[in-house]
Amino acid sequence: MIMGFWLNRFCGVFGISLYFALSLCLVAQTAEMGVLRGKISDSSGAPVANATLTATNAETGQIRTATTGTDGSYRFDQLPPGSYVLKVEAAGFKTLEILSATVARNGTTTFDKKLEPEANAGGNLTPAQQENLPNAPSSSTTAPSLSDLGLSPEQTRGNPQEQALLDKRTRMLKIHQRMGLITTVPLIASVVTSLNAGGKSEGTASRDLHVALGALTGDLYGITAYYAIRAPRIPGTNKRGPIKFHEAMAWIHGPGMILTPILGAMAFSQKNNGEKVHGIARAHGPVAIVTAGAFGAALLSVSVKF
Amino acid sequence: MHKKILIALFAALPAFALADSQWVLKQSTLTYHVSHPLHQTDGVSHEARGKGVCHAGQCDFLIAVPVKSFDSGDSNRDLHMLQVTRGAEFPIVTVRTRLPESAATSVTIYADLEIQFAGQTAQYKQVQFRLETQGGETRITGTIPATLVDFKIDPPSLLTMPVKNEIPVRVDMTWQKQ
Repeated sequence: MIMGFWLNRFCGVFGISLYFALSLCLVAQTAEMGVLRGKISDSSGAPVANATLTATNAETGQIRTATTGTDGSYRFDQLPPGSYVLKVEAAGFKTLEILSATVARNGTTTFDKKLEPEANAGGNLTPAQQENLPNAPSSSTTAPSLSDLGLSPEQTRGNPQEQALLDKRTRMLKIHQRMGLITTVPLIASVVTSLNAGGKSEGTASRDLHVALGALTGDLYGITAYYAIRAPRIPGTNKRGPIKFHEAMAWIHGPGMILTPILGAMAFSQKNNGEKVHGIARAHGPVAIVTAGAFGAALLSVSVKF
Repeated sequence: MHKKILIALFAALPAFALADSQWVLKQSTLTYHVSHPLHQTDGVSHEARGKGVCHAGQCDFLIAVPVKSFDSGDSNRDLHMLQVTRGAEFPIVTVRTRLPESAATSVTIYADLEIQFAGQTAQYKQVQFRLETQGGETRITGTIPATLVDFKIDPPSLLTMPVKNEIPVRVDMTWQKQ
């Protein structure tokens, strides 16, 4: 009897746990999926209904299809992230193929596309198509194409991998930029509090505050530097403009940010022992000022046009 | 009477046969302008390619320019521009327009443009351009009133301040008829 009670209890708890675990797995999987949606219209901007869209995953070959509604809209839900070949087919229109439609993790990718009217057997447009023809040349049989301009398919084809690299670079540099801005607050405060920290007063409160602000500056600086150093490099890019100065300044404030706290710790120790700051520790102040100056110059070089 | 009409038709035939002609883009300068509270930036490209094909009194023009070819003088900014405009995914900006062949003799033309950029297509109606013809070459200058919203581009920001939506593109192209 008691055994049966505990068995039921265990099974109940186990069942609930399993349910939650499975739900969490499902939620996690769902959260990783992306959405591909958009609108298909003709060259005049009118929606094209009943167009068939085929999304083929470039890596797995998995195929999904969707059809546009009366407003020309379509939607692929729950698509694994990656690169897709998107094909749009509709009666009376040329088939459109997009070679690289990237679906982001947890994101919604929008592809609004216009279809060109298909010429009939005689090479002429149907009256209905002619009515929809805007004052644009894309429908003309004589219109030049990209290959007429000497552009090879390699030059016109998109590179989703490079785009992903650029996206990652921008994300990291945005954090770098924000962290750099945040770092300036304790940095300035450290410089201001240094005026009292090295004085002859017996109290240690202002010195402690200066140390705390310095430590916070160092930590934030470390995070800022991490996002700049780890941001991916884009192959084939020659550095030009203010970014060169910005990076050159890092060779000053980088070592400075390491040296300043070391010298500061030495000076702090000497002060706490009742000694006058002496030896190499005396360089703490000047090194900190040069470091802060280089950091400020680096910040201004990419912020304000001189 | 019939004989006169026939002679007139035969006389006109060579003219119809010669009606097809082409325009080739000889040189170009395309400049986009971005406004930020702290910066005014211009990105320039000289790498546009273009062709115009004329048939039955109408000319279809196609101009293509690699997104990567725009140089603002700052490689970091150019890479950021490439990222926000999805330039690696959509490496070419194309501009299409159709103009009457007779427009070549005008001083001012108004063109309907269809621009494909950043995976989007935007149409600009009646964009004004000035024409100067000299020695078989025609120079076209004007400004395309492009905006970031037209191409669904999120405005890039610097120090948390976004750039303005307007990114006018100055066009200076020299075409040669062939």
